[in-house]
Amino acid sequence: MPAIEHYPIIMVAGLLLLAFIMPLLYIWKRNWCEPVAIFAISVALVMSLCIIYEVVQGDAFEEGYWMGGWEHFGIEFKADYLSSYMLAVIHGVGLLILIYGIGDLKKELVEKVRGWYYTLYLLLMGAMSGMALTNDLFNLFVFMEIVAISACAIISIKEDRECLEASFKYLILSAMGTGCYLLSVAMIYMITGYMNLDMVGETMALGVGEYPLNILVAMSLMVVSFGVKSALFPLHVWLPDAHASAPSPSSAVLSGLVIKIYAVALVHILFRAFPMEILKEVPMTDIILWMSTLGIIFGSIFAMVQENFKKMLAYSSIAQIGYVFMGIGLFDPERPEETEALVGGLLHILNHAVMKSMLFMIAGIIIYSAGLKKIRDFDGIGNRLKWPMYIFIIGSASMVGIPITGGFMSKLHLAQGAIAVDMPFFVMVIIASSLLNAIYYMPIFINAFLSESKHENVTFKPVPGSMMIPVVILGGLVLLFGIYPAPVIGVLESAVESLIQ
Amino acid sequence: MMETIESLLHNYYYFIAVVLFVIGFHTMLTHSNLIKKVIAMNIMDTSVFLLFVTIGYVQGGRPPIMDAVTPPAGVDYINPLPSALILTGIIVAISVTAYALSLIVKIYKFYGTIDADEIAEIRGREE
Amino acid sequence: MEEQLVTAIMMFVIVFPLFMTAVIMYVGQQSERLCNALSLATAAATFLAVLALYPEAVGGSVVEYDLFEVLPDLAVSFRLDILSYNLILLSSFIWLLATIYSIDYMAHEHGGERFYPVLMFTLGSCLGIFLAGDFFTLFIFFELMSLIAYILVIHEETPDALKAGYKYLVVTILGGLAIFLGVIICFELGGSVSIGEGPLIDEVSPLATMAFFSFLIGFGIKAGMFPLHVWLPDAHPVAPSPASALLSGIMLKTGAYGLLRMIFDVFSVEIMQQANWNLIMAILAVITIILGSAVALTQEDIKRRLAYSSVGQMGYVVLGMTVFNEQVLTGDIFHIFSHAIMKSTLFLAAGAIIWKTHKRKISEMAGLGRQMPVTFSCFAVAALAMIGIPPLNGFLSKWTLSLGFLEGGFAVYVLVLLISSMLNAMYYLPIIIPAFLGEREEEKSGDKEGEEEDWEDEAIVFNVDEATFRMVAPMVVLAVCTLVFGIFPANIPFDLSRLAAEFLLLGG
Repeated sequence: MPAIEHYPIIMVAGLLLLAFIMPLLYIWKRNWCEPVAIFAISVALVMSLCIIYEVVQGDAFEEGYWMGGWEHFGIEFKADYLSSYMLAVIHGVGLLILIYGIGDLKKELVEKVRGWYYTLYLLLMGAMSGMALTNDLFNLFVFMEIVAISACAIISIKEDRECLEASFKYLILSAMGTGCYLLSVAMIYMITGYMNLDMVGETMALGVGEYPLNILVAMSLMVVSFGVKSALFPLHVWLPDAHASAPSPSSAVLSGLVIKIYAVALVHILFRAFPMEILKEVPMTDIILWMSTLGIIFGSIFAMVQENFKKMLAYSSIAQIGYVFMGIGLFDPERPEETEALVGGLLHILNHAVMKSMLFMIAGIIIYSAGLKKIRDFDGIGNRLKWPMYIFIIGSASMVGIPITGGFMSKLHLAQGAIAVDMPFFVMVIIASSLLNAIYYMPIFINAFLSESKHENVTFKPVPGSMMIPVVILGGLVLLFGIYPAPVIGVLESAVESLIQ
Repeated sequence: MMETIESLLHNYYYFIAVVLFVIGFHTMLTHSNLIKKVIAMNIMDTSVFLLFVTIGYVQGGRPPIMDAVTPPAGVDYINPLPSALILTGIIVAISVTAYALSLIVKIYKFYGTIDADEIAEIRGREE
Repeated sequence: MEEQLVTAIMMFVIVFPLFMTAVIMYVGQQSERLCNALSLATAAATFLAVLALYPEAVGGSVVEYDLFEVLPDLAVSFRLDILSYNLILLSSFIWLLATIYSIDYMAHEHGGERFYPVLMFTLGSCLGIFLAGDFFTLFIFFELMSLIAYILVIHEETPDALKAGYKYLVVTILGGLAIFLGVIICFELGGSVSIGEGPLIDEVSPLATMAFFSFLIGFGIKAGMFPLHVWLPDAHPVAPSPASALLSGIMLKTGAYGLLRMIFDVFSVEIMQQANWNLIMAILAVITIILGSAVALTQEDIKRRLAYSSVGQMGYVVLGMTVFNEQVLTGDIFHIFSHAIMKSTLFLAAGAIIWKTHKRKISEMAGLGRQMPVTFSCFAVAALAMIGIPPLNGFLSKWTLSLGFLEGGFAVYVLVLLISSMLNAMYYLPIIIPAFLGEREEEKSGDKEGEEEDWEDEAIVFNVDEATFRMVAPMVVLAVCTLVFGIFPANIPFDLSRLAAEFLLLGG
């Protein structure tokens, strides 16, 4: 067993390397691909749990990990509370999506490309872990590009016209985001001469007075860049097509994890690279707050008018990512001790990852079993697809934010945070959006169970256990995080505390 | 006023980089031709690369190559780090471009056009 | 009694029904008889356990128990005091009778294997609301109960039921969110949401006002207070009758209970008076009383008429909360008892009538009193109690309320009570009198239709034909309660109400 300090780099490098072995393995031993991929992600999950345990308990990660020993010049990996939390989320949810995907992809992808799918999936996982761990702005850029390309590719791997078009749109807007990011990094480098986040933060604090304009432009570009990538309203245009047309496992991973990792990166940069004085001077958090508010409301309103189930889920993601950003926006630099909202926003990353990937899987199961995509065709399927629809009830309850589900806990924290910084208006926003969610999620399962069935003639393909089990586990997790979120919240509170220092 | 112009003239490379960036940004969002979008994406990336490289340049500096003999004192080297980073950046940009072009080929196969507006029209007709 | 034993029983009455929900759900797929037996056993065991708490509660002790912390400073905690005890005693009693009643009622309906688990789950969560030790726990159980009760509302799965159910669901979620807002503000201003720690919010501020209105909306929706009552007349009648009895009899009271807790534990009497919030509540309550009773007059469907009558009666309960003297509060809490007993009797009787004759229209019920004398006698007793005829319990609660209003100088409220009693008489008497004295429709219409009817229907025309024993017995028990609790002014519910009123006025 290598020492625990090496786990982060082993995890990232291992996943990336294994990604390229996959196609070879597919040619050589076709049946091994899936078990190997599952094994890799399971190992990564165990490693992330070890890392999170060590971060909470021990001090193995107090110092960063300098690649090749190039201290202060090389690339640094640093596992802090937030990144280890994110690692656990990525690999936990990612593992379940992968298991689910085995059954689903047999239907959605032609056999020739299935080995490549695991390449892309492992690349995506490795690059996301890298994004969470890296402490270097340029390294972050490289990982962002890997995530962008592999995220586009797991959409376009299903070669139909909608996927290709959606994937191209995603790629172009994502490239735009990357361009903004790189420009912003250039400006930061101009001011500080460093790429390492910690050192950037230290140097920037000295240079606030001298280059206020540069810092301001760099910060705005940063927000725009990550806003595009994580579909913050009005920069969300690429999301609905991309997430709705992709194969269901891809939709689950894109909506569940990929858009969140950018939010985490933004939190890292915003709080660690930029000095608190700048946040006080510039109403950047207010801008994020209002954008997220608009996203929450309009995302829900757009979701209401959708006919395609997956498209509705995609629009709902726009609203839900708004909660994450609302957590960031409700942070008041004048009162850094009020951190509930930020905790709530970060908690929603977990909750939304769990529930939205679960819902996309359920959508995938419905398509797999009955071939139904339109919401109005769902009448009466509850009797045929009993368990998926039961879990769907849990998922929608969590979306609405009903007690004992995870969604409630994040909303509770956000609302507490909003009151704590004297902005009760945003509690109203949360409440209004919960009601909107109720209006478009509830009728689906009500009709599924109680309406007259139209499907006497449709044959329902039996759903394999490998597709059902991840959904059930995720459903259990939604309830678990609704009943006993204390450990997660403990980690997040420490995370926020260390960010704000 | 004069000072502003003077500083702009002094830092003309920043200015050019920003102009290029805006050209790329604008073209990428407004032009409907997919190939043009990809070209614009490259222009945008290149502008940032230029900016990066110029940051590292030191007026009158020497290439950062160690001589066999110890260099004379008082000689500046240019900063090698941005150049090294930009090499990586270029590779990333090329791979994105390659992927985008391959997507365009596929899109052309399916739709028979590479104009985003026409594609939208075709999809609108279908629905 | 040992404190540990008391907490154990407290936890038992909440957890046991919730646990049995799963068991019954599993068993229900195998055997209907076992499912019935288990449900009955659960309700009975819960009622007995609640009875066992009697000496402890009457002794005036307050038992608190923290189960576990969900979040820092937000625990799931439970608390037994005399007010909670009043309500859990009432609920477990009515639940037991409703469960007995449903055994035969549901035998004719579909979906019994769904009905009983839901019935037990709502019992557990309802007791959870009343025993909650803080507003966070209260809110969680409130949401659980309200949402699960949706399944009771839509049980028949007719288009009407679905429509009413959807309305119910949206309104419930709205109410839940409003309470959520209130709890959050309360937590922020008071630093705690525990019940019984004195006023959590002790000064009037914009946020406090917001909290008041959030709670008022949230609990008001549940209590069917004007203008938030719109869901009630749709949702209650479409449910199966035992469920209607529980919805109207008990679940409405959770709203009233919440309002009581809000007045005495979130705020205090002084703040309510200082900010004139009690006047706002009183005005809404007066409108609710008049409107509920007036609209009930126009309803043809018997269950809808009963539902509107519930709106009016809940108005009394809310009105009683706005005057802070012991007499009024005693009457108020006693009216919670009275209304629960009366309205359950009425719904159960109406259910028996519909079950037996398939008639829902009031005009069709003429003469049925001779066919189903016991059922209609129970109905008549409860209806007379509603009107407030002595010596029934409805009279006692109105009398106590009126005395209290006069004592507090609100003579005008007494007038409202009188008007409403007259309206009650106007819509209940036309049901009872023709039922006993009127002629049956079939008799009137003569031979023309009689020939088409088969012999079974004719048998009903001439013979005394009650519903089954297990349906009639709960009604009779409730009707006797109506009478007994009215005749003796020193009966148990009245004493309990007085103790609770004293307890609340002493500061919770």
